[in-house]
Amino acid sequence: MNPIDRDESAASFTLDLGLKRREALALLGGTALASTGLPALAQAQTKGGVLKVAAPANPSSMDPATGGAGSDHVFLWTVYDTLVDWDYTTLKPVPGMAEWATPDAQSFVLTIKPGITFHDGTPMDAAAVKFNLDRNRNDPRSNLKVDLVNITAIDVTGPLQLKLTMKQPDAALPAILSDRAGMMVSPKAVQTLGNEHDRKPVGAGRWKFVSWADNQKLVVTRNDKYWRAGQPALDGIEMSIIPEMATGLRSVVAGQNHMAYGLSARYSPIASKAKNVTVVTGPTLYCYMLFLNYSRAPLNNPKVRQAINFAINRQLFINATMGGVGEPAAMLLPSTHWGYDKGVAGLYKFDPDRGKKLMAEAGYPNGLDITVGGYTDQDAVRRSEVMIDQLGKIGIRCKYINGTVAEASGQFFGNEKKFDALQAAWTGRPDPSMTYALAFGKGAYYNAGRSEASEELSQLLLDSRIKEDIAYRKQVFAKLQRIVMEQALAVPIAFNFEFDAVANNVKGFKPNLLGKPKFWDVSLAP
Amino acid sequence: MIGRGGIRFLLRRLAQALPVLVFATFVVFSLLKLVPGDIAVTLAGENATDERIAEIRALYGLDRAFLLQYGDWLWKAVHGDLSKSLLSGEPVMTSIVRCLPNTLLIVSIALSVALVVGVPLGMLAASRPRSWIDSGVMSFASLGVAVPNFWLAMLLVSLFALQLNWFPATGSSPFLADPVLSLRHALLPGLALAAGGVAEIARQLRSSLMEILSSQAVRTLHAVGMHPARILWQHGLKNVALNMITVVALLANRLLAATVVVEAVFAVPGMGNLIVNGAILRDFPIVQGVVFAMVLIVISLNLLADMLYRVADPRVT
Repeated sequence: MNPIDRDESAASFTLDLGLKRREALALLGGTALASTGLPALAQAQTKGGVLKVAAPANPSSMDPATGGAGSDHVFLWTVYDTLVDWDYTTLKPVPGMAEWATPDAQSFVLTIKPGITFHDGTPMDAAAVKFNLDRNRNDPRSNLKVDLVNITAIDVTGPLQLKLTMKQPDAALPAILSDRAGMMVSPKAVQTLGNEHDRKPVGAGRWKFVSWADNQKLVVTRNDKYWRAGQPALDGIEMSIIPEMATGLRSVVAGQNHMAYGLSARYSPIASKAKNVTVVTGPTLYCYMLFLNYSRAPLNNPKVRQAINFAINRQLFINATMGGVGEPAAMLLPSTHWGYDKGVAGLYKFDPDRGKKLMAEAGYPNGLDITVGGYTDQDAVRRSEVMIDQLGKIGIRCKYINGTVAEASGQFFGNEKKFDALQAAWTGRPDPSMTYALAFGKGAYYNAGRSEASEELSQLLLDSRIKEDIAYRKQVFAKLQRIVMEQALAVPIAFNFEFDAVANNVKGFKPNLLGKPKFWDVSLAP
Repeated sequence: MIGRGGIRFLLRRLAQALPVLVFATFVVFSLLKLVPGDIAVTLAGENATDERIAEIRALYGLDRAFLLQYGDWLWKAVHGDLSKSLLSGEPVMTSIVRCLPNTLLIVSIALSVALVVGVPLGMLAASRPRSWIDSGVMSFASLGVAVPNFWLAMLLVSLFALQLNWFPATGSSPFLADPVLSLRHALLPGLALAAGGVAEIARQLRSSLMEILSSQAVRTLHAVGMHPARILWQHGLKNVALNMITVVALLANRLLAATVVVEAVFAVPGMGNLIVNGAILRDFPIVQGVVFAMVLIVISLNLLADMLYRVADPRVT
């Protein structure tokens, strides 16, 4: 697709959703730059300054192997570079600290770029990468074992080259190495600090770690020996942890911070009124959805699940709960993702009459009662009110039982299997095969019933990783997504748009499809 | 100077504090374990599997018996080790030492404002009973009690921080590094918290003073020609001292708990924020550590109140 076409369609899409012109332009600026796949070095960057950011969550760990929260990445990317990077708009993998090749189906060769060192002077070479990957696979504290389970051996074949031997081909490996598993830590630092490395990270990224006061502030400073010439522009970054979104936004309006990210769209009127603040939005993988336990009644009946999909007016949901900013979800990938399939997109147009008919065919002409787990925050409650109304129109009476994220998620996905459905969100993964395997694979944690939906689906999950060829993978994902959506194994509702409040003197910040901000190309105008 | 009686009193109080500490931490630990939510799932990360979650439970000892986990924590606590946050690995003691001064500063400001404003208001109302001054003070007091402190906090931020730019909107600053900046950060949260305290002190002082001032003894003092101001200060206030010590001690304890909301509004990294985040994430070492510290503080405040009783009235034992 011509990037210009994509930008125009993005513009019409966002303007249709009622974004103000300023916000749409910010989005266009971001997508236009991102679609070139190049960092914003073409812009004149003013060097210097310390970027002050209001972050909504404390990191769980600054060691990529031992942490677990999706909110950690924003912090981790300041200190660590990854072996593989990705295009901001499509998430297509591109070389980072390494290039890769697959000489045969079960070999994966990494060639490290020369001249990279960690913050403590240790060379970032093949030995260091092997150390990291072995640690990620074997350390008892590593949460990355499942990502690298396909690797059977790692051999150093040259000072800057390694060969990974795979059990079976894994086309998702480049995307996996663009995430935590590809963040390289200094072997010397891990050996010296041990578990303390969780709080004193040493990477090879644009900035070096300075300090971290829990739930208060994390500070990083420029890495003068960074391997990419001319980067970074910023002298440092101070990230203040402010969980309360309104407070984070106030800190930007008051001039105490330069940006607050991860805000809710309901703060748009406040942010838009502030003269010193620009609202930056962009599509993300973050998908509001209903997870379903399809291994037991009543949701083991595909007609009931399909009826739910027909009953939801996704655009209305976006207007009512997301300030009109978002993208209706036809599957678990947004339209800008390389794996998106137009053919699946039209399966569930809003049609409550068809929903009622399906309920009758399923044996529930008078409707049925289901329990739904939900969260207690204000936005989640608003979303549940819309769902209760919409599903109620086809006779599905929802009883919501709300709790904190940890509570409700644990009760649904864990051993208790408490609810029939969970209203939550899928935060997205670097590679779509990870999303579908984690959500629908037999025995997967986020498949509440742990059951196999179909043998064909299980085979397609394997097939999606055997070849790196994008055209081949798109075909496989098209079939996979068609099965998931025809069987209505889940109810994707809407993709969240990243919503950030950025001070006017912040330049070069662009949102990305993963929805986790990077400050790599940011500079501060005087 | 504290006599032998005073020392015995202190030791008795400290001995009474120990079972309170154990009981409070045990109850909180039990509640954390009973409430749904599994920190092992959080620790296992975004790509959790059932096997990894079980591994995490074993790694962190979360699969041990409930009493064993509590006993282990208590044993370490009495030896000065409050453990580390399960999530971030920061030592709990470090978190508390960093956060407690922020909370104490806000509470001190709130208490000081409550006393400086509340005492004169109460005295004014008591000295002119059933007048328009009395009605005005009582109405103001009712407003102070009724207004939610988070709402008042947002008003103060909007006016003094965002519009007038007189004070920072968020955050804190270490007191020892820059006391003036630290006070500037803490003033608005302290004022937001003080409103209820002003109201309470004014009302309590007014009703206690009115009772004293309408007594036979005071009428006699008036009759012999003592100046009303002298009666108010020397006889009125002195006789309500015990009541007011109780009110202030209770207020201080309540303010410690109430800081959690203003800390969220002002993004102050205090004890309230620490325990709320810990509770939501089921990070029990953090929750236990904060409860431990707060129980010690409350016990100390009560002890201080008891000692002040003896100063105010040596007849108190």
